[in-house]
Amino acid sequence: MRFVSFRSASSVLATTALLLVATAPSQAQTRAETLRYVTGASVNTLDPNIPGSTRESFALSMSTYDRLVAFGRKQLNGKWVFDLDKITGELAESYDVSPDGLKLTFRLRKDAKFQDGSPVTAEDVKWSLDRCVTAPILGKAQLLTGSLTSADQFKVIDPLTIEVTLPKPDKLALPNLATVYPLIINSKVAKEHATPEDPWATAWLKEHTAGSGAYVIESFKPGEQVIIKRNEDWNRGSPDKPAFFKRVIVQSVPEPATRANLVERGDADLVVDLQASDVQSLEAKGKLKVVSTPQYNSITFVSMNNQIPPFDNVNVRRAIAFALPYEDMFKAALFGRGAPLFGATWPDGKPLNGIYPFQAPVKTDLDKAREYLKAAGLPEGFSTTFSFNVGQASTAEPMAALVKESLAKIGIKVDIQKLPDAQMSTQINEKKLPLFTEGIVAWLPSTDYFYRNFYTGNQRWNYSSINHPELATIAQEARFEPDKAKYEEDGRKLNAIHFSEMPQIPLWQPNQDAVMASSIEGYTYEFHRQVDYRDVSRK
Amino acid sequence: MMTGLGATVVRAGRRLLSSLPALFGVLVFTFLLMRVLPGDPAVFFASGPNAGKEEIEQIRKQMGLDKSVPEQLVFYLSDIGRGNLGRSMMTGQPVLKDLRERLPASLELTFTALLIALIAAVPLGVVAALKPGSLVDHGVRLFCALGVCVPTFVSGLLLIYAFYYLLGLAPDPTGRIDVFTSLPPQRTGFLSIDFLLAGDIEGWWAACKQLILPALSMALFVIAPLARITRASMLVSLGSDFVRTARSVGLSWRKVVVTYALRNAILPVITIAGIVFSTMLGANVLVEKVFSWPGVASYALDALLSSDYAPVQGFVLLMAGIFVLVNLVVDICYGIADPRVSIG
Repeated sequence: MRFVSFRSASSVLATTALLLVATAPSQAQTRAETLRYVTGASVNTLDPNIPGSTRESFALSMSTYDRLVAFGRKQLNGKWVFDLDKITGELAESYDVSPDGLKLTFRLRKDAKFQDGSPVTAEDVKWSLDRCVTAPILGKAQLLTGSLTSADQFKVIDPLTIEVTLPKPDKLALPNLATVYPLIINSKVAKEHATPEDPWATAWLKEHTAGSGAYVIESFKPGEQVIIKRNEDWNRGSPDKPAFFKRVIVQSVPEPATRANLVERGDADLVVDLQASDVQSLEAKGKLKVVSTPQYNSITFVSMNNQIPPFDNVNVRRAIAFALPYEDMFKAALFGRGAPLFGATWPDGKPLNGIYPFQAPVKTDLDKAREYLKAAGLPEGFSTTFSFNVGQASTAEPMAALVKESLAKIGIKVDIQKLPDAQMSTQINEKKLPLFTEGIVAWLPSTDYFYRNFYTGNQRWNYSSINHPELATIAQEARFEPDKAKYEEDGRKLNAIHFSEMPQIPLWQPNQDAVMASSIEGYTYEFHRQVDYRDVSRK
Repeated sequence: MMTGLGATVVRAGRRLLSSLPALFGVLVFTFLLMRVLPGDPAVFFASGPNAGKEEIEQIRKQMGLDKSVPEQLVFYLSDIGRGNLGRSMMTGQPVLKDLRERLPASLELTFTALLIALIAAVPLGVVAALKPGSLVDHGVRLFCALGVCVPTFVSGLLLIYAFYYLLGLAPDPTGRIDVFTSLPPQRTGFLSIDFLLAGDIEGWWAACKQLILPALSMALFVIAPLARITRASMLVSLGSDFVRTARSVGLSWRKVVVTYALRNAILPVITIAGIVFSTMLGANVLVEKVFSWPGVASYALDALLSSDYAPVQGFVLLMAGIFVLVNLVVDICYGIADPRVSIG
């Protein structure tokens, strides 16, 4: 027997009720309209634009703010995932793209209201988008990838119409407006809290919300939990009704084993960041619903620094690519939970398509690896370090041990370096690590976007520090390529260069394992790799 | 009496003043230590998919890292002088606010754990001292060894597994209170006291239930030193002249052991308890992590891992302050109990 005290602080009708319940499932019934979501990290700001904001903050902002447009969803192998190619209106009732692709016109919903009751106007939209490209916030760098760089590009036509002008037809302009950052803020409220030093009210919006989203903040304790309650007036969801859950509790529970216990006991409804081993055992028990979606916009890889010896030699990089113990790593790190990016067969040695990430025709072949080492003039091998960050230790630690063991067989002595997260990011930024593992995610996973951001330029996200003029040129051109067939051809070329240069070795796309009570429905894998609380409901 | 109290206050004041240089040293040392540690916090926090050089510079500026270290130190000291501990990048809150909200959680947990530990350790130590070398003595020794050698996070996870997962007796091990319970008006910050003040027995019981497992796993770890010191000082006490005299005049066994021997043996136990308390407060990171306890120690650890300077510096300063206070209280208690002990 357990006592559970349940109280709604906001409602006058809900008086204290002491519920005597015998088992966890029936307890879940009593709070059917509340979603309790547990996560390892925490919401640290209510405005996702603040540098340092966490993924949990991204997810929260999706529910507290609306954007002009949103991604649709589609089924991938029977699981719901976000659909990059289907952009639907959120605050916009409809939108047009001019035939030359230079003008986007958004018509706002007439009935859209901010949470304080005032109508959403084109002025608010302009202020919010101006803020996104002008203020020193994260949205700036993101919108840049969609050719949105200046406040001049946003024009109010009438109170319900706003026009966005582009310098070049850019495929990623529209999808960019559906990402986390360009949220639409109640400009009157925000301006009241702006100061001369902070004209965009970034300090105030960090701790307060002024949006039109499906949920309103009820309480916010950074590092502990956020409770949000439903905005009854919100109707931007698909079937024109407010979100399903009356309340959502987003709670930080740092210990992964505890998160697993909570969801198994029925005290938590949903969790996405469990350890692979826990997911496996929960799935085997069969009491809970486990939705495993390969994170198709993310990649885990082993990267080599293409600028420092011996990794500046392409044959050394190829040797490593054929010496990694892929299958064992995949099993040890992820229990095979994900989509492998190794072990493909390219019939004529050419890429199968122009999609990145691609499955590469690499597998463990130590003889081949030795040949490459010989070709590189290092038949005896060499010594190097393999680094990973503490935050990824649960998957990277077993991986590192296997890498060390396997590379030793071809004479490469590996020293494993486990670095604190801040130290790892510093070393990556300074391009000091010779061999390491990392993961990347792209919100807008198109081939050119991946190649431009992760394989060009002297910037942090070019992990391998590859400097390949041809690759850079093709990636740049592909960005504005309107012809689909030509774009595909560009993609194939890029993938072919990637394989022959082998700047880094893609390993796999880990699964996002969402574990939930069997009554939870509608979970969708979102681009920000968190749960959109508006997607889910309870049977 | 008045003069005695006055003298104590003067002594305490003088003592506090004399601890200022130590606090200042801690301040400067932590500040420098944080800057010597590898890892650039600006790079870490600029970890969005598109955060480039510009964003990193901006964060650096925001954190004041664009200035030279001596300049930073001067700014930092003048901020501290104005009671500003800086802002945490992790939570986005002022460090002072974070610490103020989290300290009561840690204190409540640590006090409860210490209480449980004392309640268990003193009788164990006494029993062991009464029959040194007996089976009971060995049993106590075994128990203490077990408590000390099982790390707190292991005992914590085991307790959760048994009492929450298997038996369902304990509430879910997340935080200080069931998420569905509304909080009492904040007075002391100690939930178990605030609920009582608000007259909410149900809430009080909920808070207490939440407190038991983490406090227990912490207590297990510190029972050993407390029990050992009780045993040792009881042995001395039992072998001393006044106990022999008390026995010889035919006083009851209870009176001899409890009133004479234990009372004299308890002073060193209290000294050790003070030290144990200060250590526990900082060292309960793992317990706070395992039980999602929103305390200061887990906060400081998170900050350290992400090279978030301000919270770490604030935490160390807080700990130093508490250590000074605890020592002061112990000294004053000694002074009052035994006027021969002079302080300052």
